[in-house]
Amino acid sequence: MKQLKYIMVLLLALGVASCEDDFLEPAPTGAVSSSTFYSNEEELESGVINMYDGIQGINDTRADSNHAIQVEFYVTEMRSDNTRTKSSEGEAAQFENFNIETTNGIVADYYRSFYNVIFRSNIVLQNLDVASDQNRGKFEGEAKFIRAYSYFNLVRLFGDLPLVDRVIKPSEIDIQFTRVPTATVYELIISDLETAVANLDNTYKNRASRAAAQTLLAKVYLTLGTNYSEAQQLLEAVMNSGFSLESNFKDVFYNELNDEIIFSIGFIPDVNDDSQNFSAEWLNAVGRTSGVNYVTTEAREALDALGGDRTQFSYRQDAIQPSQFQVAKYIPNGDDNLGIAPTSNDPTLAGNDWIVLRYADVLLMHVEAIMAGGQETSVQAALNSFQLIRNRAGLTDIVTNITKQELLDERRVELAFENHRFFDLVRFNTAQDVLSAFSDANGLGFSATDLLLPIPQIERGLSNGLLTQNPGY
Amino acid sequence: MINYINKKKSINTGVLFVSIFILTILTTACDYEFDLPEAGSIADETPPVANFTASQSETDFLKYTFSNLSTSATTFAWDFGDGNSSAELDGENTYSAEGTYTVTLTASDALGVTSTFAEDITIVEPQAPDVPDPVLVNTDFDKLPKSSGSDCSCSAWINKSIGDQGESSSGNGGSDNVVKLDNNEPDHLYQEFEVVPNADYTIQIVTSFKSPEGGSFPSMLELRVLGGVGYTSGYTPTYYTETVDFPQDDFGYASVSQVEDPANNLLIETQSNPNDDGYITYTYTFNAGANDSVALFIRGIGGPATGGGGGDFGYNSGDEEIRVDSLTISAIN
Repeated sequence: MKQLKYIMVLLLALGVASCEDDFLEPAPTGAVSSSTFYSNEEELESGVINMYDGIQGINDTRADSNHAIQVEFYVTEMRSDNTRTKSSEGEAAQFENFNIETTNGIVADYYRSFYNVIFRSNIVLQNLDVASDQNRGKFEGEAKFIRAYSYFNLVRLFGDLPLVDRVIKPSEIDIQFTRVPTATVYELIISDLETAVANLDNTYKNRASRAAAQTLLAKVYLTLGTNYSEAQQLLEAVMNSGFSLESNFKDVFYNELNDEIIFSIGFIPDVNDDSQNFSAEWLNAVGRTSGVNYVTTEAREALDALGGDRTQFSYRQDAIQPSQFQVAKYIPNGDDNLGIAPTSNDPTLAGNDWIVLRYADVLLMHVEAIMAGGQETSVQAALNSFQLIRNRAGLTDIVTNITKQELLDERRVELAFENHRFFDLVRFNTAQDVLSAFSDANGLGFSATDLLLPIPQIERGLSNGLLTQNPGY
Repeated sequence: MINYINKKKSINTGVLFVSIFILTILTTACDYEFDLPEAGSIADETPPVANFTASQSETDFLKYTFSNLSTSATTFAWDFGDGNSSAELDGENTYSAEGTYTVTLTASDALGVTSTFAEDITIVEPQAPDVPDPVLVNTDFDKLPKSSGSDCSCSAWINKSIGDQGESSSGNGGSDNVVKLDNNEPDHLYQEFEVVPNADYTIQIVTSFKSPEGGSFPSMLELRVLGGVGYTSGYTPTYYTETVDFPQDDFGYASVSQVEDPANNLLIETQSNPNDDGYITYTYTFNAGANDSVALFIRGIGGPATGGGGGDFGYNSGDEEIRVDSLTISAIN
C-alpha cells in the first residue's frame, strides 16, 4: 500500500512534467518526428504527395493494409449488374450476391482507407502556414479536392458519415463516431470543391486540377439533382480547357496521361511501393483471387448491342476458361490479339493508371445537365456532346433526341468497368428497378437497403456503440 | 410535381402485452424470495420499427417502388392503399389512376410484436411544362418614369457603364412611342430577363433607319444576347416590373469588354441600313444555353471609335439615326 502511494506520487510528478514543452527535449535530430516535420514548403509538398499515395493504396495482399482505390471495384462495379467474381467464392462474392456482412473486410478496408486519405488532407490543411504565399492556395486547393473526392465516394456508398474536417485527437470520440446527415457532408464537399476550382490550374493530371474540381463539382450537383445550370456551366468550362476524346478508344487506357484524362491515380510498374494489383486480380488466378470483376452476361449483351468499336476493348474471352469473360481495360500483361503491350514485368506490380475522371464522362454529364432531371432532350448542345461520344465509337448515325434511358445505356457501355455503373444507377433513380430485376434473373438477394453498404463492424466496435448501422444490416 | 404527405403512425401493440406480463411476474415475485423469471419473460428489447421510402418510376408515373427500411422485423405486410397488398421485403405497385393513396407497412418480429408506418403518396401525371415567354418591361418604348431624371422612352433600358441612354422620339404613327439611337453617339438599350436554360427563343424587333447620308460611317444596329454567366462576379439579377425601379448603372454587365467577350455572347446580329426609312420587322432566334438569366443589348455602331457626341465607350453610331419601335421575345415550344 505504501509502495503504491510512492508510485502514485511518481506518476503525478511525471504527469506534471509532461505538461512542459521540453519533456522530450532535445528534439531528435536523426529521425523525422511528426510534431516538427511540416516546417517548410518542401515538407508540406511531400504531405500533398502523401494524399495521392493514400489513394494509390498499398500493393500487398494483407487484410490489414489500406488498399484504397485498388479495392474500389468491389464496392462499386461488383455491386452493379456489370461484374461478379469468377467462381463466386470468398467474401468478395458477398457483393454480387447482395448479402454483404457487416464484417466484410473489403468494405472495412475501403472505409478505413479513405478516412485515412481524409486525415492526410487535413494534415496538409493544418500546416498551410509554412507554404509560400504563391503556393499556399494551390496546396489548399489540392487538399480540399482530395478531401471532397474522398467524402463524395464515402457518402454515396455509406450514407450518413462521421464528418472529420480537421486533424482530431484520439479523445475526440464524438467527431470520430457521430454520423451527420448526408446534406451536411455535401455542404463540406461543395465548399471544398469551390475552393479547389478557384485555387487550382490545369497543370497536372495525376494530381488535382481545376478541370478535375469542376468536373467533380458538376457530378455532385447532378447527384443532388440541383443546380443543373451551374453544373452545365462547370462542364462547359472544362469543355473549353483543351481536353479532347482520343480518336482510338484503346488509347484511353493504354496511352497514359492522354488528352482525354482529367484526373487519374498514377501507378509505376514493377515498383512495389507505387504499383497496383487490381489489374492482376481481374485475370484468371494471376493475383491472390481466382479472378474477380469478371463480366456479367448482362454487361456483355449491352456492350455487344451498343458498344460499337468500344466493345473489343471493354471485355474479352478468358483464354483459360472460355465460358468466362474478363475486363479488357487495364490489362497488365498485354494481349497480342488486341495489340496491347504489357505494362509491367510482374502483372501483380502493374503500372496501369486508374482513371477517375475523363473527358467522355464530362460530355455525357453535359447531356445530363441539359436534361436537368427531365426524361429527354433535343437541345442541340446536348446532341453535339452525345454525338462526339457516338462518333468515336464508330456509331455515326445522327442523333436527334436523347432519352434518359439512352443516356444511361450510353454511359454503361462508354464507362463500363470504370466504377461508374453503380453510382449512375442510383443517380438516375433506377437502381432499385434495375438491380431487383438483375437479382431476380440471377437468383441473387437484392433488397432496397443494399444500396448502402454496412458501416464496418470493426468501426462500430471501436465506437462503443456510438456509430450507428444502416438499415437492413 | 409529386406531393408527399408524410403521416407517421407507430403502434406497438405487443409492448402492452409484454408489459402486463412483466407486471404479473413482478407481483408474483414478492411471494418467493429467490424466484427466477421464467424463460421468455424478458421484455422485447428490440421491437420492430417499421419504415420505408417511396420512389416513383422514371418511365411509368403510376409505378412506385418502396424501399423497406424497417429494423428488427422479420415479416412484412404491405397495403398499397388501392386494394393491392404484398408480403415481400420491398414493395412495388402499379396504380391504376392518379390520386392520393395511403401506403401502410406493418412490420412484425417473431414474438408477434408489430409496428406500422404509413405514408400518403399523391400521384399526378407529370407534364412537360411549356417554356414561358420571358417578361420584359417597356418593350413598346413608351415615355415612362425613371429612377432618376426625366421620363424617357428608354426607361428600363439603361446601363450607363456600357453606353449612353437612348432618347424619346416619335414615329410609326404615334408620339413618344419609339426610342432613338442618335447618330454619332454611343447610345444603347440594355435589359436583363429570366430564361429557362437551354430553351429556344424568338426575338422580333421593329426598327427604322434614316436615309443614308452617303458618308464613310454608315450606321448599323447591333443586337446581342448576353449570357448571365458573364455578369459581374457575385451579381444576382432582380427582375423589376416598374420602369421607375430599374437601376441605371453598376449592375449586370459593367464594361464593354465584358459585352464583347465572345464567351458571353449567345447571339450577335447586325442590321445594315435597308435604304427604306419605314419600320421593318426583323426576327432572330437564340438558345439560352447554360443560363437562367440573359441580357439584351442593342446599340448603334458604324461610327469612329472615339470623338462622338457622347460618352467615351470605344464605339459610336454612324451618320444616321436609328429608331426602335417595339420588341417581342417569345419562347419556342
